[in-house]
Amino acid sequence: MSSVQETIFGIISKEAGIDINKISMDSTLKDLEIQSLDAVQIIFELEDHYKITLPDRDPNFDTESVRGLVEAVEKLLAEKAAGTPSAQT
Amino acid sequence: MRRVVITGMGAIDALGHDAASTWHAMREGRCGIAPIANIPTDLTNVKIAAEVRDFDAAQHFDAKKLMFLDRVSQFALLAAREAVAQAGLDFRVDGRGERTACIIGTGIGGENTHDEQSRRFYGDKNPRVHPLTIVRLMANAPACQITMEYGLTGPSFAVVSACASANHAMAQAFEMLRSGKVDFAVTGGSEACITVPTVKAWEAVRVTADDTCRPFCKQRRGMVLGEGAGIFVLEEYEHARARGATILAEFAGAGMSADAGDIVLPSMQGAARALSAALADARLAPQDIDYINAHGTGTPANDPTETRAIRHVFGAHADALAVSSTKSMHGHALGAAGAIELVAAIGALRDGVMPPTANFLDPDPECDLDYVPNTARERPVRAALSNSFAFGGLNAVIALKRAD
Repeated sequence: MSSVQETIFGIISKEAGIDINKISMDSTLKDLEIQSLDAVQIIFELEDHYKITLPDRDPNFDTESVRGLVEAVEKLLAEKAAGTPSAQT
Repeated sequence: MRRVVITGMGAIDALGHDAASTWHAMREGRCGIAPIANIPTDLTNVKIAAEVRDFDAAQHFDAKKLMFLDRVSQFALLAAREAVAQAGLDFRVDGRGERTACIIGTGIGGENTHDEQSRRFYGDKNPRVHPLTIVRLMANAPACQITMEYGLTGPSFAVVSACASANHAMAQAFEMLRSGKVDFAVTGGSEACITVPTVKAWEAVRVTADDTCRPFCKQRRGMVLGEGAGIFVLEEYEHARARGATILAEFAGAGMSADAGDIVLPSMQGAARALSAALADARLAPQDIDYINAHGTGTPANDPTETRAIRHVFGAHADALAVSSTKSMHGHALGAAGAIELVAAIGALRDGVMPPTANFLDPDPECDLDYVPNTARERPVRAALSNSFAFGGLNAVIALKRAD
């Protein structure tokens, strides 16, 4: 498990109050019964932890898998490392 | 049981600085949402709001008085002045002040003062906090300022229930009048919380639109913050008749409920219970209602839930009545929302014109009522409801009847 993956699993587990062992890369937020406010909190914790900004519109919480979230964060971290200005906030 | 009527109305919001211009803009379907002008937006993702524009407090209050007034109290006083002047009542004679309640809703209170003093303290490291900070920021300040302006010495306080604050406040004032506890009330709601931290806080909930407010349509992307105040004078019917006052509408009833469910997601059952309670309280049948001013925030969650609640309560009549969200024009003024929206309901009853839901593009299959898209409609309105469903699941619906 990558460190990003591990961190995200940890944040999901803590914010949504679910057992970390129930989370897999293929689970959707819906499978995990994560309510909209929990999803918003997860995104906030991820943004705050990595100092990144996830897209504001249409995050599509119902179908988004944990894998999608991990990939989105990894992409933003890569952009940040490359110094792309949009990822700096 | 005593009947309660509305004999004075005042408002200030993104559509105008008085109730008449607000109603005129609503009839025209004019949208008051625009790029934010009153605060810096370099740190906000949200760049639009329905702000009160071109408002110079110094035009309305002398410097000594202004020191005591947060923007939320300035709005409340301005709207109260308009309402009291229209009612034509002098509260300082005949012991009226003692028989008058002053109940004003606000979601937050003196947020501009709070923000300004926090910035001085944390940002500028200035250890001195202004001595009038507390009296400006307290949530009951708008109510207090109105009592002092008019000598209202009856039961007076603030009501806080987020986006339903104004409706809860007016419902309380109505109950006091109907029960005979008071003979008059000055009531409504005020809000002025478009500050950088509050805008950031709304952003974080991810319910705000980046384009405009499009309630009930498929392309809706969320709510747009607004601000302002709406204040009304309520009076016992026989008294108003006897003195020849112009009766704007009859305040027929109010229905309230709590979802006791999710802190943000609305519940169909909670909204439906408030709607049914308002009808029962006003002794109105579903088919008596011609117009509903919706809560209609334009969020993905509210609009289909509100639609289902209306269908649940009104059955077949849901297709005969019209529902519109004027938040599409004056934004979501939170604790003032129900009061500004009561201006729309009163206008509909008086003029026989239903204000539209502006910015409407394509219908959403989940929202299948008649939302009066984009253009006002002329049709007699006998009775109307005005909905407010707050975060935390606190619901308040007001029922009005056309003056007879």
